[in-house]
Amino acid sequence: MTALLSVRDLTVTYRTSQGEVPAVRGVSFELEPGGSLGLAGESGCGKSTMANAILRLLPAGITTTGEVLLGEEDVLTMKPGRLRAVRWTGAAIVFQGALHALNPVQRVIDQITEPIILHKTEPDKKAAEKRAVDLLGQVGIPANRAEDYPHQLSGGQRQRVLIAMALACDPDLLIADEPTTALDLMVQAQVLAVLEKLRAERQLSMIFITHDLSVLTYVCDRLAVMYAGRIVERGPSDQVFERPTHPYTRALAAAFPTIGDRESRMNPSGLKGDPPDPAALPAGCPFHPRCPDAIDRCRDAEPPLLPSGPAQEAACILARP
Amino acid sequence: MTEALVVVEDLHIHFGAARAVDGVNLAVMPGEVLALVGESGSGKTTLIRAIQGLTHPTSGKVLFEGKEADARHLPDVQMVFQDPTGALNPRRTVSEIVAEGLRIEKFKGNEAEAVSTALSRAGLRPPERFLRRFPHEISGGQRQRVVIAGAMVTEPRLLLADEPVASLDASIRGEILGLLRNLVDTTGLAVLVVTHDLGLAWNIADRVAVMYLGRIIEVGPTEELLDSPKHPYTKALLSVVPETRGMEQQILSGEIPDPKRIPSGCRFHPRCPVLQSGESERLGIAERCRGEDPAIISAAATREAACWAVKAIAVAG
Repeated sequence: MTALLSVRDLTVTYRTSQGEVPAVRGVSFELEPGGSLGLAGESGCGKSTMANAILRLLPAGITTTGEVLLGEEDVLTMKPGRLRAVRWTGAAIVFQGALHALNPVQRVIDQITEPIILHKTEPDKKAAEKRAVDLLGQVGIPANRAEDYPHQLSGGQRQRVLIAMALACDPDLLIADEPTTALDLMVQAQVLAVLEKLRAERQLSMIFITHDLSVLTYVCDRLAVMYAGRIVERGPSDQVFERPTHPYTRALAAAFPTIGDRESRMNPSGLKGDPPDPAALPAGCPFHPRCPDAIDRCRDAEPPLLPSGPAQEAACILARP
Repeated sequence: MTEALVVVEDLHIHFGAARAVDGVNLAVMPGEVLALVGESGSGKTTLIRAIQGLTHPTSGKVLFEGKEADARHLPDVQMVFQDPTGALNPRRTVSEIVAEGLRIEKFKGNEAEAVSTALSRAGLRPPERFLRRFPHEISGGQRQRVVIAGAMVTEPRLLLADEPVASLDASIRGEILGLLRNLVDTTGLAVLVVTHDLGLAWNIADRVAVMYLGRIIEVGPTEELLDSPKHPYTKALLSVVPETRGMEQQILSGEIPDPKRIPSGCRFHPRCPVLQSGESERLGIAERCRGEDPAIISAAATREAACWAVKAIAVAG
């Protein structure tokens, strides 16, 4: 089976007053059709930069190298016209903060219809509108709200409008960047259920980005944990969450306690220190200053991603099967 | 029995037709962490503002150490907000920020010493290293510690923390929660933490109160309440927390109704899975659920749920 998305040795470098700052430092992964990958990590680890790089949404002045193969084509070398088409029909992205991503003075139905008409994925305006109402229905928004303006909808409804909009031109891949972070618990559950249903019904592939490992475990088959611009652990999501082999993944998994687990009761768990500044990464393994298990050798060289268990890989010299 | 630090008595706060707080009794004891859990629109924030004395009750009262709460209690009641970056003045140094509370209350003692003590207590050690820094020169986790130091400098009796870790990175979250718990254990401070994060409650709270549409609908010791929730709303909330494993998800449809139109009977009945499944009918209480408001939970209750079904099962069982 060929991969739907194949990212090869992707690097993203920002140019700032402090010089060149590497945000993504050589990331490779593949996503099968219908597969779902969860990307976890803290702010500044490069996960959102990578999501934007995949669709070439980063502002000018940022250098991206490597390959992003969507099917057979490399997104990074595509002509602008082709790129515009691919962004809606091949892969679409859902951002967090639905209030800012929607046009406040346009009815939601028109915002969803616009890309459909532009990319001619439906024969005429009428069919496009029918499809928009259909999509809204699929994300649980009744047809009588289609004519509403964004401010008339609740936060959860607006987030679901964004999902409907991303699906307007029937993409094969949906990238969701913290799509539920600003939402209440019950609304988050509603949105996750919608995504899960869509994935099952249309064989939609998904990349799901958040810092909450437990959400990812719930939505994704595979998990990749990023730290300082690289993937430091990956594997099947249950396995990574329940038997993490990288000390950073262990800390992330413990940060959100399992309710009922006596060990975490009255005992919140965290890491010392802060995520590193991408402009001044520590030598050796970039995690070693915060790592509870670090030994002298960790300062020598950055460990590569190598097998750490069945179907699992970790970038840690102490995590070997 | 210890005297409660804060007593909220039959509190109602209305904004026009909206009943933001619609009958709340609650006591906060010294030396406890009480988690007030609820979704947006449940009235948590209004309740907190009333405890600070910043919002006046429509009826009922809020007592702080036996006296009606007003803004003059502010040195004794301090607040920690969600976003440390927004809460800190970018043009002030850490020492000026932390000293602000002292200046407002015209503190007569040694300001520099009080600031240093507050910084050390908040885990910023040695304090001299931080005094002259500006907020942008320190990390996100350190910023939230500065916010906590600024709140602790007046040696308050009560800390109101509104989602204190929601905007922090996952790995820092545990450190900040540990700090809050430690302050409570070492100083006898009380913390009322407002959150929708049940994992946070599990991590540090002694008691949990769950709010829905202006009322507390369930209260109890953290372990009892989270291990065996009674109210169908609490059960549903717990079932959708990704951190609870092996529980069947119960996703409620719709969202919290408009506080201008609080449903008749039990305010939760239009979304209640117990009523929808026909269970209320079998218990012979369906009419009650739709027509009769369950009694407001008293401030003295140790473990209670405002639900007709819970009461009917308790009587039958």
